[in-house]
Amino acid sequence: MHTTRALLAAAGLLIALTSHVAAQSDYPNRPIRLIIPFPAGGSNDIVGRAIATQIGERLGKQLVIDNRTGAGGVIGTELASKASPDGYTILVISIAHSVNPWLYKLPYDPIKAFTPIGIMGTGTNVLTVHPSLPANSLKEFLALVKEKPGELTYASAGIGTFQHLGAELFRLDAKVNLLHVPFRGGGPALVDVLGGHNKIMFSSLVQAVPHIKGGRLRALGTGGKERVPALADVPTIAEAGVPGYEALNWWGLIAPAGTPQPIIARLHKALEEAQDAPEIQAQFEKEGAATRKMSSADFGKFIASEMGKWERVVKEGGIKAE
Amino acid sequence: MDLFQNLIFGFGVALSWQNLLYCMIGVSVGTLIGVLPGIGPLATIAMLLPITFNVAPVGALIMLAGIYYGAQYGGSTTAILVNLPGETSAVVTCIDGYQMARQGRAGPALAIAAIGSFIAGTFGTMLIAVAGPPLAELALKFGAPEYFSLMLMGLVAAAVLAQGDIMKSLAMVALGLLLGIVGTDVNTGVQRFSLGITELSDGIGFIVVAVGVFAIGEIVANLGNPEERSVFTGKVKGLMPTWADFKQSVGPITRGTLLGSFFGVLPGTGPAIASFASYMVEKKIAKDPSRFGKGAIEGVAGPEAANNADAQCKFIPMLTLGLPASSVMALMLGALTIQGIQPGPEVMVTRPELFWGLIASMWIGNLMLVVLNLPMIGLWVKLLKVPYRFLFPAIMAFSAIGVYSVNNSSFEIYLTALFGVIGFIWIKLGCSPAPMLLGFVLGPMMEEHLRRAMLMSKGDPSVFVTRPISLGFIIATVLILVVIILPAVRSRRGEIAG
Amino acid sequence: MQLAIRNNRDVWAGVMLIVTGAAAVIIARDYAFGSALRMGPGYFPSVLGGLLVLFGLYLIAQGLRSNERIEGNWSLRGLIVLPLSLVLFGVLMEYAGFVPALMVLIVGSAAAGSEFKLKEVLLLATGLTAFAVALFIYGLGLPYPLFTSW
Repeated sequence: MHTTRALLAAAGLLIALTSHVAAQSDYPNRPIRLIIPFPAGGSNDIVGRAIATQIGERLGKQLVIDNRTGAGGVIGTELASKASPDGYTILVISIAHSVNPWLYKLPYDPIKAFTPIGIMGTGTNVLTVHPSLPANSLKEFLALVKEKPGELTYASAGIGTFQHLGAELFRLDAKVNLLHVPFRGGGPALVDVLGGHNKIMFSSLVQAVPHIKGGRLRALGTGGKERVPALADVPTIAEAGVPGYEALNWWGLIAPAGTPQPIIARLHKALEEAQDAPEIQAQFEKEGAATRKMSSADFGKFIASEMGKWERVVKEGGIKAE
Repeated sequence: MDLFQNLIFGFGVALSWQNLLYCMIGVSVGTLIGVLPGIGPLATIAMLLPITFNVAPVGALIMLAGIYYGAQYGGSTTAILVNLPGETSAVVTCIDGYQMARQGRAGPALAIAAIGSFIAGTFGTMLIAVAGPPLAELALKFGAPEYFSLMLMGLVAAAVLAQGDIMKSLAMVALGLLLGIVGTDVNTGVQRFSLGITELSDGIGFIVVAVGVFAIGEIVANLGNPEERSVFTGKVKGLMPTWADFKQSVGPITRGTLLGSFFGVLPGTGPAIASFASYMVEKKIAKDPSRFGKGAIEGVAGPEAANNADAQCKFIPMLTLGLPASSVMALMLGALTIQGIQPGPEVMVTRPELFWGLIASMWIGNLMLVVLNLPMIGLWVKLLKVPYRFLFPAIMAFSAIGVYSVNNSSFEIYLTALFGVIGFIWIKLGCSPAPMLLGFVLGPMMEEHLRRAMLMSKGDPSVFVTRPISLGFIIATVLILVVIILPAVRSRRGEIAG
Repeated sequence: MQLAIRNNRDVWAGVMLIVTGAAAVIIARDYAFGSALRMGPGYFPSVLGGLLVLFGLYLIAQGLRSNERIEGNWSLRGLIVLPLSLVLFGVLMEYAGFVPALMVLIVGSAAAGSEFKLKEVLLLATGLTAFAVALFIYGLGLPYPLFTSW
């Protein structure tokens, strides 16, 4: 049954419009545009699309995905900031939203120009090293780095990415010196580390887990407050020697400032229902992430606190773009 | 024999009617988006991904893979017919494919492109089956120094792309390198040549430059010379390649397949490099290089084989190591992970139906593509008989939609218009834009790998000659230089003396 | 003599290269140059810009020697009208929607040709637009509004 439907849909390349429940209120009476300020296929896109399908089913109107990529998410975010606040344009944001203010001159105010809807989920990073690096634990790793300050290099997905910032946060918290080697995206960086050319990477969990399990990478610690189920025997970086370290990747939904409160509430409710869907649970787990719920107001506070955290890392770490 | 049994098992999986249907849908959709410029497999697969969650993993992967390599077939069609590259990798096909069409040989060009792609696809598929894992291990040995030396070799060989004037070609390569630099510097995050325009911070899109200088530039030129254009629609001869065409294409297809497989296995080389490489090789070893750029069938057969072999072999690192070589492969990897499958060396043992089923389906898909594409040729060629005053507005429309759809951005449209004008001026001044595109593709990668290599070696340039693979490429580069420069110097002397 | 230079193919190619190269070098002065061992973001562009200037000088010299003329005409009508229609398409996509943008592009491009018949062109534009709407908007699901902006 599912198969047949999928086939039909694919044949015409039509996104299945499952409008089985009629909307109770007037909103939404037409498709909603969901701007994703990153290219198709990245984590923002995968998480955003998955949630969008579910929200669309619950609102009875499709969410149309609009990938507006460029400048670390600034182009799409600017577009959303200028959209009319009628609930028909919403935006996927991620950790980049809280980092960009310190890297670029923004054409919008990251807080005042938007109304938070809610957080979708969070993921964490993992410190991985090539097996040829003589460090079997975080303690040994720290000793090794301190022995050769500034000589060991780490690979990242590029300036200002989660992989880069997680490492810079580590540098500040552990007071060590590592040399940054940026790549164009997480994939190329990981390939380089697997080949042993660079030996260190603060990778996103989803990318690294299969290689850790396959023995091609060694995990020294994960970046969250608690251990990760997929890597139960790997300690957190905080417990293994760098107390207080926490690097979270997160994804959320916001709308242009001035979007009416009832619409925000309706979107928030649809989001929370979508998060409970077993498909979403399963898919987030596979992405190395977990759904998380927050009230809209709490999400606003969360964004502000993330901005504060990364401001310190960007400024003290001397990270520059532009 | 194990391999034989595995393949039989794979064909058993791939030949189930559902999987055949998925394969059929995949390659048809792939051909369609391949024909359309801009809209590529990346966006299509991203869009279809949610639908595949409800499909069995094997079927989902078969369909997505079909879209991906199907697009490589479709990409050459508009390149040959109207000088509009449907996919990045088809840019090289524009050079001689379109000239063949102008001489009324669009049919043979399309046919040889399809046949070359099929042979390359078959070989690529076999390669995955026979030597996937060891090849992937080999590819991991490539770090920044190796990639830089490889690209240096490519750049030097680019002088071969020269049509008549080597200096002009080299100048155009340098110009392309410079254009490729526009945007955010990966190493420092500095914005270069973006002139304060946010849209330029990610650089200039390849499709923007390609559509601008090839498609738009060509229309402008045709409108200026209506007589020439009417001549070329008038003399369509033969839909199928002649025996002589076949004989001429065997070598290029073989070499293109090998080159494409080599580049395909390496995760750090972008699209179009394999086809450029094949084109340069064919031109260098041809008895009469002056035919190139004027409708040489080798210039279609080789690159088309190369880009399809490249596309097939990009599956090797993904399937055997779980390493995505491109964004499209990253999406496929994502599709598998969501289905609960971890690609890697184990996948051949733990999910044989997936691994061998996919391989068998890729071969079946390639066969379907040939069967689909050969009869279509007649139809496509008829398209050329449409009066040009109807055809060119349609090309403009499809180009514009295609370019717009890459980033949903009007800015890219304005840039395309600009490149149309600039490209036309360069052609008028006797400078071919093809070397510029090669420089454009290689530029950012070369600079990145060079600076990365220097960063990792702490500024020691000997890293390029102390690592054996890199040293090999450096030696080859020097040899090519000698081979190119000697005859050029000699002929120039002759010129001056005469 | 002056006339010869005005039509000299290689001289103009050289001039264009020199202008581009010089601009690149001047703009790249704002970026850290670094050294050959620790290259800054300005290193590559400066070197390339310099190379372009050299290529340009060589081409000018070659042009003055060979006096190769620019062949054919400049197809000025197409060179101006086609890019202009593209720009209009871009603007209209932002402010008016897919259908008007495409109609204007098709009619505008057709106007670049020498055999422009309004009735025929309008028919072509309508047909092509309908086809494009079916294929791209409904078939491929591209997220563009048919009329008016979001």
